[in-house]
Amino acid sequence: MSIAVAVGLLTAASVYLFMQRGMVRIVLGFVLVSHAANLIIFAAGNPAFREIPYVGVAAPDDQADPLPQAFVLTAIVIAFSITMFMVTLAITTTTDDDTETEEESPVKVLTSSMPTVAAPRSTNGDADAPEPRTSQLPAQHSRAEERRDGEGGRP
Amino acid sequence: MTLIVLLFLTLVLAPIAAAVHAMLGRDTGWVAAGALTLLGVTTLPWIAPVVAGGTKSEHLPWIPTADVGLSLRLDGLGMVFLLLVLFIGALVMAYSARYFGPEKRTGDYYVWMLLFVFAMSGMVLADDLILLFVFWEFTTLCSFFLINRSGDKAAAPAQRTLLLTMAGGLGLLTAVLMIMVRTGTTSLHEALGHEVWQTDGGFTAVIAVLIIFAAFTKSAQFPFHLWLPDAMVAPAPVSAYLHAAAMVKAGIYLLLRFAPAFEDTAVWHLLLIAGGLTTALMGALFALQRHDIKEIMAYSTVSQLGFLVAVIGVGTPTALAAATIHVIGHALFKSSLFMMVGIIEHESGSRDIRVLRGLSRTMRVSLVITLLGSLSMAGVPPLLGFVSKENLLAGFLSAQSPVLAWTLAALAVVAAVGTFAYCGRIVLGSFTDYTGAGRRDERPEPMPADQAHEASATFWMPAMLPAAAGLVLGFVPGVFDGLVTATVSASSTTEYDAHFALWHGLTADLALSAVIVVLGTAAVLGRARVDDVVPRTILPFTGVGVVEGMRSGAIDFGRRVGDLTRTDTHGLHLGLPGAMLAVLCVAGLVAAPHVGELDPGNTRGTDWVLNGIMFLFLLGAVLTLSRTAAVVLAGGAGFMVGAWYFLLGAVDVGMTQLLVEMLTVVVLVLVLRKLPRRFHRVSKTRTVVSATVAIGFGVMAFLATFALMGRRGQSDAAQWYLEQTYDTVGAENIVNSILVDFRALDTFGELTVLGVAGFAILALLNSAFSTSDNQPVFSKLWEGTPIADPRENTVAMRMVFNWVAPFIVLLSLVLLVRGHYESGGGFISALVAGGFFALRYLVADSDASVKLRFDYALVIVGGIMTGAITGLVGYLDGSFLRPIMVDIPLPWGGEYAFTTALVFDVGIYLAVIGAVLVALDRLGQAQRYPAELLKAHRRRHSDVPEGITAAVPSGQRRDPGDVPIGIDSAIWGLTEPPGRPGSSKRDEEVDR
Amino acid sequence: MIDTLAEVLPPLMPMLAGVPLLTGALAAAFRKRRTLRHVISLATLTGILVFSVLMVVVTAQGTVLAHQVGLWNYGIAIPFVVDAIAALVLMIISILGITSVMFAMGTHEARARFYHPFVLILFAGVSGALMTGDIFNLFVFIEVMLLPSYGLLAMMGAKLGANGARIYVTVNLLASTMLLAGIALVYGTAGSVNLAELHGAAAEDPAVAIGGGVMLVALSIKAAVVPVHGWLTRTYPMTSPAVTALFSGIHTKVSIYAIYRIYSVLFDGDPTFLWVALVVTSLTMAIGVFGAMGEKTTRSILVFHMISQIGYILIGAGLFTVFGLTAAIFYLLHHMIVKASLFLSTGAIEETYGTGEISKLGGMLRREPLVAVTFMVAALSLAGLPPFSGFVAKFTIIQATLQESHYWVAIVAVVVSVFTLLSMLKIWTGVFMGPEPKNLEADALESQARMHGKRYLRVEAQAETPTLSIGPPTATTTAVWEGRQAVKVPIKLIIPGAILAAITVFFGLGAELLMMLSETAAEQLMDPSDYVEAVSGA
Repeated sequence: MSIAVAVGLLTAASVYLFMQRGMVRIVLGFVLVSHAANLIIFAAGNPAFREIPYVGVAAPDDQADPLPQAFVLTAIVIAFSITMFMVTLAITTTTDDDTETEEESPVKVLTSSMPTVAAPRSTNGDADAPEPRTSQLPAQHSRAEERRDGEGGRP
Repeated sequence: MTLIVLLFLTLVLAPIAAAVHAMLGRDTGWVAAGALTLLGVTTLPWIAPVVAGGTKSEHLPWIPTADVGLSLRLDGLGMVFLLLVLFIGALVMAYSARYFGPEKRTGDYYVWMLLFVFAMSGMVLADDLILLFVFWEFTTLCSFFLINRSGDKAAAPAQRTLLLTMAGGLGLLTAVLMIMVRTGTTSLHEALGHEVWQTDGGFTAVIAVLIIFAAFTKSAQFPFHLWLPDAMVAPAPVSAYLHAAAMVKAGIYLLLRFAPAFEDTAVWHLLLIAGGLTTALMGALFALQRHDIKEIMAYSTVSQLGFLVAVIGVGTPTALAAATIHVIGHALFKSSLFMMVGIIEHESGSRDIRVLRGLSRTMRVSLVITLLGSLSMAGVPPLLGFVSKENLLAGFLSAQSPVLAWTLAALAVVAAVGTFAYCGRIVLGSFTDYTGAGRRDERPEPMPADQAHEASATFWMPAMLPAAAGLVLGFVPGVFDGLVTATVSASSTTEYDAHFALWHGLTADLALSAVIVVLGTAAVLGRARVDDVVPRTILPFTGVGVVEGMRSGAIDFGRRVGDLTRTDTHGLHLGLPGAMLAVLCVAGLVAAPHVGELDPGNTRGTDWVLNGIMFLFLLGAVLTLSRTAAVVLAGGAGFMVGAWYFLLGAVDVGMTQLLVEMLTVVVLVLVLRKLPRRFHRVSKTRTVVSATVAIGFGVMAFLATFALMGRRGQSDAAQWYLEQTYDTVGAENIVNSILVDFRALDTFGELTVLGVAGFAILALLNSAFSTSDNQPVFSKLWEGTPIADPRENTVAMRMVFNWVAPFIVLLSLVLLVRGHYESGGGFISALVAGGFFALRYLVADSDASVKLRFDYALVIVGGIMTGAITGLVGYLDGSFLRPIMVDIPLPWGGEYAFTTALVFDVGIYLAVIGAVLVALDRLGQAQRYPAELLKAHRRRHSDVPEGITAAVPSGQRRDPGDVPIGIDSAIWGLTEPPGRPGSSKRDEEVDR
Repeated sequence: MIDTLAEVLPPLMPMLAGVPLLTGALAAAFRKRRTLRHVISLATLTGILVFSVLMVVVTAQGTVLAHQVGLWNYGIAIPFVVDAIAALVLMIISILGITSVMFAMGTHEARARFYHPFVLILFAGVSGALMTGDIFNLFVFIEVMLLPSYGLLAMMGAKLGANGARIYVTVNLLASTMLLAGIALVYGTAGSVNLAELHGAAAEDPAVAIGGGVMLVALSIKAAVVPVHGWLTRTYPMTSPAVTALFSGIHTKVSIYAIYRIYSVLFDGDPTFLWVALVVTSLTMAIGVFGAMGEKTTRSILVFHMISQIGYILIGAGLFTVFGLTAAIFYLLHHMIVKASLFLSTGAIEETYGTGEISKLGGMLRREPLVAVTFMVAALSLAGLPPFSGFVAKFTIIQATLQESHYWVAIVAVVVSVFTLLSMLKIWTGVFMGPEPKNLEADALESQARMHGKRYLRVEAQAETPTLSIGPPTATTTAVWEGRQAVKVPIKLIIPGAILAAITVFFGLGAELLMMLSETAAEQLMDPSDYVEAVSGA
């Protein structure tokens, strides 16, 4: 019963953090949700048996189930590695780790009837990445025009 | 020569034509015409047996499991259409040899035309339902490519044609599949003979509607008729063959083929008669409206097809016979008329009757041919057209109830008069100075009289043959009796022997024909008044507009559907899975599975203490807006979960959790350095929404865990491990032995995941770049004090570290070795070592002093390879990752039970340390941009050629990560290219 | 010969997961020697292909290969099990892998130090996930698959604010955590994680069914069915064409395989909740194709298409009859090949002309006849026109739905294929037909320079100390760069797409072979008794 309460608390906190802006809060959310998942695995191993599962430490029939412990050990390390990667993603931007522009915030997405929302950004990979949100660079004479004026007779 | 060989030959013709075209150019037409005629002639001997009632059928398996095969069957109906396809095809091929200019590229034209011949002959011979659909779709494909190849303006009409005919095709596919499912056979004639048509009225009606839909789109019946005039953008031979003689007849063939099945289905007769007659009338009306003779011809085809569909709708044997003879007649005169339109356009340069003038003097032969064709279409004796028109009227009169018969006949007469009128419009409009323009039409300037000149003999000969045949056959229509009888017996259940003659006594249909001729001539004479009376716009919208509207409407709707998820906000993408989970949760509650009793001892007093403290930590972590506070509080919650693990008797897991929590906080702190101090503000409504969603999720998780868990005692796998581990692998720490012995594959996967995370961070930070390093905002208070100076404020920690370091390393090695017996093992020891490196990093006085000089990715490589090699060594004892146990005698007696599992632990050790090093080194360092990397590299190797320019394309914005690498030919050691702009100047503009 | 193979192969099966990890790590070690990395990578991938073809040959007769990794006894060890569907999917994925890697070598992306290690580790994860018979091990191998793809996506993704990469990571991490929770619920209620032991558990006990349900929801997030398809449409167009082609055949397809496996063994195909699957698949088909029509760039259209086709494939799961599953498996295999071929052919144009926007392209039929033919073959096959494999796939699927008299699903399938053709035509007329935009060539060269600049960053800079030998821009030759020749898609970028298009034609005409194999696979899924015997017996 108590482990279920712990799971509930952790899940509630993590889902709240998911819905916020900023990559770091989302990363914290995922750290907490991985704790919740690990506790669910422990609950699967029946928390009624709580003795340390080493040979000879206690009577076998009230020793804890070693299998979920192995699962949790694996799950913790996997969660740790993905957290490290997500944290790196938080800082690979020109601006801070903001995950949405003003007009893209979910409330606006959900409330506006037909959201023609996203800033016109080309989604064809790295050919021409979108303008950074904050720094407004002066419009420059594009090189294409420069080339086109510069040369005439390409065969 | 069997059917399959015939079909194969038609297929082989296409590549041969392509090869011949390379040599002969447009004269390939003659070769193709010759080949098709030869094929046609070889099929003639089959007529006798077919007329005598026999059928030829062959079978070649294609996909037996789905019982689809190449099974062909030739009967009367198939014979008529096969002859049409081959002979009209030959004529059109001969015609196109002269239609195209010598220099025009017509290779693909001949290939697609001959592929079309293959498709049509395949369709009329197909006896497998799927095969029928396959060839039906193939004709659509050929028509799409033939229309599509004539210039850029042909793209839109081609697309509309493909869409409409494809939609019809899918209707046919559904019908075919439903028939196959219901009758259990894929053979066409067996399916048609099945008794389902008589017993299940509903099923038959649905199939009838689907077949009609497919036929109406293919044979351009109202309301799907718009693609035919639209397709007139194709060259004349294509229009003559596909859009007059062959492809549009596919729908008629389908109706005739399926007619026996629907003989007593009311909806079949109703739809066909209504659809057919409306199309006939509407086609005639539109024809009288148009000025371009090709468009008039297109609408006339639509109208004639309407006649055919209506008469098939009547369904009596006489009607079906009339339909067959009209199919033959129409093919002859319509193909010749379309070819004449091509000749007129080719020779006079225009197709508009208001512009055409004086052709009667200069193009006399064309006049004769066009007249012959038009008279036949109008149904004037003694041409074959008259015989077929008369039979049509007889067919209408043969309808069951006299009232229905006479109304049909009356409507037919009106349509026939309309036909007569537009035949006059075509002949007089093209050859005399009659302009056919009513009061409201604008009148373009007519062309000079002598501009047109007669076509060469080889050009009009292919058009002359069918027209002349129409005249000759008019006198002796009886020649078709045998074939038509066979066709009628194939497309209806009752016996009937057709008998055609130019004159067979005074009959009602003869009288009606006379009425048609009289009224027709009157309409032609009073053509000027007719032009004024005919309304210019009948319907408020045009068919093309409707299809275009539907198409752009679909695209608009598609954009809206795409917009639903066109956002990068995580909240939306992470919230949706929750919706699916909620549905599952509700289903779970509804199902309310019977679950056993909670085992005793499930909840203990100390648990609530932990839960209470964790609740406080979580509340703080969630509410705070300061990043450091959030990280610390989340770390606290992590420690509480670690305490939970110790409570649950999981010592190893508890230690791992605490160590991982420490390292996570260290990594997060390294990152916080680069980010602003506070989180982003979020609107009130959003906080409330996310709070409610979060609580909902929390309750769901609680319910799932509480309801389903802890009620089944110990699992038998657990019991096995607790009892057997020591005897099988000689280990006391069962959890560690599961990790490195029993389920070593999981651990191997996991250490790879950790290693690859390290690689991924390296790859990401090398290829992208990270935010500029925010200078941490120190309050003025600490200015000048040791706290502000990075070197000073770590003196105390550095002293402690220097003493503690060797013990940490020793501890980690001891933990590594004792994994099998006590709590420890690969992960815990490596995390301790990770802690050592973190501490070393935090106490360092400058980045340079702590920068790792070697390529630490190799540590990860070492870890993964050790794991893999230990796995392969396992094969010595039979399987991957099987531990090999060896007892090493120790010098002081006893022996140490060495097992390869220990080597596997070392592999884990290296991989985990490698990943932690990557994180500490690359995240901790100030991000060095590639530009700086290059400058440093150039300083070290002064011999670098100066060719590096910073010519980042000016159009593109500057960003710190951009590499100042211009594509400078100097680097490639090539000569200076003439006129290559920009890159030659060496402006050294390196970013920051 | 077959039964000797049936003896020899099972113990070697874990090598399919182990060896790519070994060679992947090895490739990461060679920082300077590019050609060595290329050789290692292609050798390993061909090895996997040969091994999987052998397995297809053995499993074609219906035998199931099983092996307890580490030779521990049944119930304790992790079983590796290969039946017809696993072998077929692995074979097609390895074909796909080789062609995408060849394409990446053509665009010089494969020169990045970590490209080949990521691809090889990705393949280790795929073969592990396809073969494992233990649900926790499935979770681990899915993670082994995901990490390298995070790396590939972010590495090749947009440089600024890799937002697409973030969504890919967060959504996949949420799905994995839900999968983990599902596995825990199943273990908590049924007491085992070994699929063979869990045979039919969810059919008898609704509690286990809830756990299984959570697992299926997690896998359907990864398979991008409709309500949760948004992330796929935001992330796949973000990265380079080679990576998108690779991902298109792997991630969603492995999760579809896992859905089939779990439903066949854990739920033993019980029909109570099948109507939910049919509703979801019909929605997926419709929304996928409508979304495809509204998009503006070639890649987003193809990505939305993929979602719609996933709907077609999952109809098999919704019907769960022998003929339904046969049609669905045939469709799955056909779709993997065709979709990758489409991505590669449009990718070749995107790499050379710098943009995938339909409005900025045109007249490619005259400029690039080869690419046009490849695209046309694959597009017609996708739209389901005869004589390509797509036609056979589509009509068998629709026939299967009609046999179960699910008329609504059949109608949706038919209508969607009309719109599929419409959106394919949108690309055909937009990119291949129509007038050539006037500054097409100038823009192409300029965008290649920019892309090369960025790709230099990804490729050379990763070598820590950047080597300065940078060849001509990715997809051109010096002659083109100097303006002596017109911009043209290099042949090395066309070949991968052409190979896959040829395969779809082969599958179309020789559909009988694949249909037979799919039928054996379907029968094995319908009654998993010999799957369970093989595992418990091995």
